[in-house]
Amino acid sequence: MTREFRRTALSFAVLLAFCAGAHAADVDGKRLQNAAKEPDNWMTYHGDYRSWHYSGLTEINTGNVRNLKEAWSHVASRSVRGLQSYPLVVDGVLYYSGSYNQVWALDGATGEVLWQYKQKLNEDLVAKQTHSPYNRGLAMGYGNLYMGTLDGKLVAIDMKTGKLKWETKLVNSEKLTVGFTGAPLLVKDKIIIGAQGGEWPDRGPIFGVDANSGKQLWRFYTAGGEEGNGDARNTWLNDSWKTGGGGGWMAGGYDPETNTVWWGTANPAPLYDWSGPDYKTKGARPGDNLYTTSVILLDPDTGKLKGYHQELPHDAWDFDSATGEFIMLEKGGKKYVVHPSKSGFVWVYDRAGKVQNVWRLIKHINFVKDIKPNGELVGRRDMTEGKHKNLCPFIAGGMSWNMGSYSPKTGLLYKVGNEWCMDLEIKKTTPVLEPMAQLNIGADFNITHPEGEKAHGHVSARDPITGKMKWQIKFAEPPLASLLSTAGDVLFVPDARGWLRAYDARSGKELWSHNNGQGHNGGIISYKAKGKQYVAVMTGWGGLAGDDYGAFFGGTFAQMPKDSGVIKVFSLR
Amino acid sequence: MPTSSGKAQPAPFRIFFVSIACVALSAQSALAQTGGKPGPMQSGTHTPRTETSPIDVGKLFATSCGWCHSGGGREAGKGPQLMGTALTDDQIISRIRAGKTGQMPAYAGAFTDQEMRAIVAYIRSLKPAPVEGRK
Repeated sequence: MTREFRRTALSFAVLLAFCAGAHAADVDGKRLQNAAKEPDNWMTYHGDYRSWHYSGLTEINTGNVRNLKEAWSHVASRSVRGLQSYPLVVDGVLYYSGSYNQVWALDGATGEVLWQYKQKLNEDLVAKQTHSPYNRGLAMGYGNLYMGTLDGKLVAIDMKTGKLKWETKLVNSEKLTVGFTGAPLLVKDKIIIGAQGGEWPDRGPIFGVDANSGKQLWRFYTAGGEEGNGDARNTWLNDSWKTGGGGGWMAGGYDPETNTVWWGTANPAPLYDWSGPDYKTKGARPGDNLYTTSVILLDPDTGKLKGYHQELPHDAWDFDSATGEFIMLEKGGKKYVVHPSKSGFVWVYDRAGKVQNVWRLIKHINFVKDIKPNGELVGRRDMTEGKHKNLCPFIAGGMSWNMGSYSPKTGLLYKVGNEWCMDLEIKKTTPVLEPMAQLNIGADFNITHPEGEKAHGHVSARDPITGKMKWQIKFAEPPLASLLSTAGDVLFVPDARGWLRAYDARSGKELWSHNNGQGHNGGIISYKAKGKQYVAVMTGWGGLAGDDYGAFFGGTFAQMPKDSGVIKVFSLR
Repeated sequence: MPTSSGKAQPAPFRIFFVSIACVALSAQSALAQTGGKPGPMQSGTHTPRTETSPIDVGKLFATSCGWCHSGGGREAGKGPQLMGTALTDDQIISRIRAGKTGQMPAYAGAFTDQEMRAIVAYIRSLKPAPVEGRK
């Protein structure tokens, strides 16, 4: 081999390596806007900005899904409370996060580990957290993976090397106890991420951060806003906004056409107020408590509030709006945003945030008599100090944070519903802020069966605008994992007992099942690597909803490990 | 005044007729809350609890413990039933201090010794709820 040839060959190899590396680094806000055109990849938490949780791949379909077989798996270390995240995939590499802010990069075809990353955490602080140590997902872009940490930082990890690029402290977790567990959202050249909040007595901020430098650009307070940006502190009498809770602990959505970030906000603190019907003037937090349990519309460039709708004014039941995805779709020439919530109701908005319809996904709801199609609450059940029986749904929600799926092929929304209730005794509490913030619940409570039937769950297929049901499958216990529908007309449902099932998305007919050995409480995606379609699902049990299953449902849940997490990946044999 | 739905109203509309002094006080308060610029958020001011502060342990339990210990500690929920526990007082306090990975947070530094002793006394005093309490 001549020196010239060697030099040419070396240059070519370097060029190839550069091109391969540069491809992943090319993920940016613009590419994410066109993510639907790349069904081989899954580049953002909700699949793409439309939040359909739908794969356009067809290699696995209703005709052959019975031949699905485990291709590879990967065991995540320190998986306390299981794997609750969503994997991301670009150009054949799968990335996922686990408990204690660990991240792995794996070959999407073989599962071989390319690198792993373990965030240096304030472990003393993490040991003091209740809603911890799980992580629910990542964002990718500009050659980085972005992750919020349990101790209040946003970090950027080099996608190629797995090395830390930068970290920015956003929340004083040492004082406030909470940090980040939800996935960030990349919008243009900014990372949007919401802090935990809800029952923690602070102000629940959402942040905008420069995706390249890590510099914090803006912050929006969901409890009361602030001077110059949605100041609504007068909806919290007695300065209760200072300990109001709120937050935005799940990833929101983005509408590129209007350049608007949609984010669901968490409940106010304490969860249960003793005000009764006089909640405008009495109780722990008199007033409507904006912008808790709301959908807020933010300018991604400035963090300025563009609009909002408070789904439950003065939420007195912990049915926050942070849980639901923002499903953006068109029907009959009209553009909608569909938003499921913990309350068991699904809100339908136009793209400006005006309510178009509200429909109920579950049967057992009595915290209100109804919610009108225009969003007005009818017959609120505002409770006073003391004992109350049979409040429905249970605190874990008529729907939880696990994502539904919308198929443009069937025009149906697939969503898990939870039928369960609770008894509670409301007590007057005072926020504990020193030496560090503590939960402010405001009640003792326990889960109960609904009147007349056993607690259970279901997956239903519905018209996303009207709620009209096409079919429904009942589960003995509510599944707590997300769903996936595909262009192959397959609906995947990972259940609580550990079964991953595939259904015909059109009819609900079961086509395939496989036991993954432990419950599912995370995400599911489909992607292609080396020309082959795969389905990847998170396994592992434990968490704020699942932790009740052992004592309440018993059976396999009494023995299910709560410190085990495995990502399982399937393909056609 | 914000309503349950609509466009955000800029703050100046609401404070237009308020005196300069009030505006200054409000701004000062907001600065104290936010640190005056984007950055790690800070809690508001409040009175620290001390060893000698009176304790309403039922209230304390409903504030921070009832999330996991159902029925005020009388039933198993996310966490175990506390009523009738076989653990000694020292073991209970040790568990409150150190927590248990993935199951219970550590309250060392969060609760005072006096509060932890009060929680032990609360657990020892628990009696079954009336029969109609659980379906």
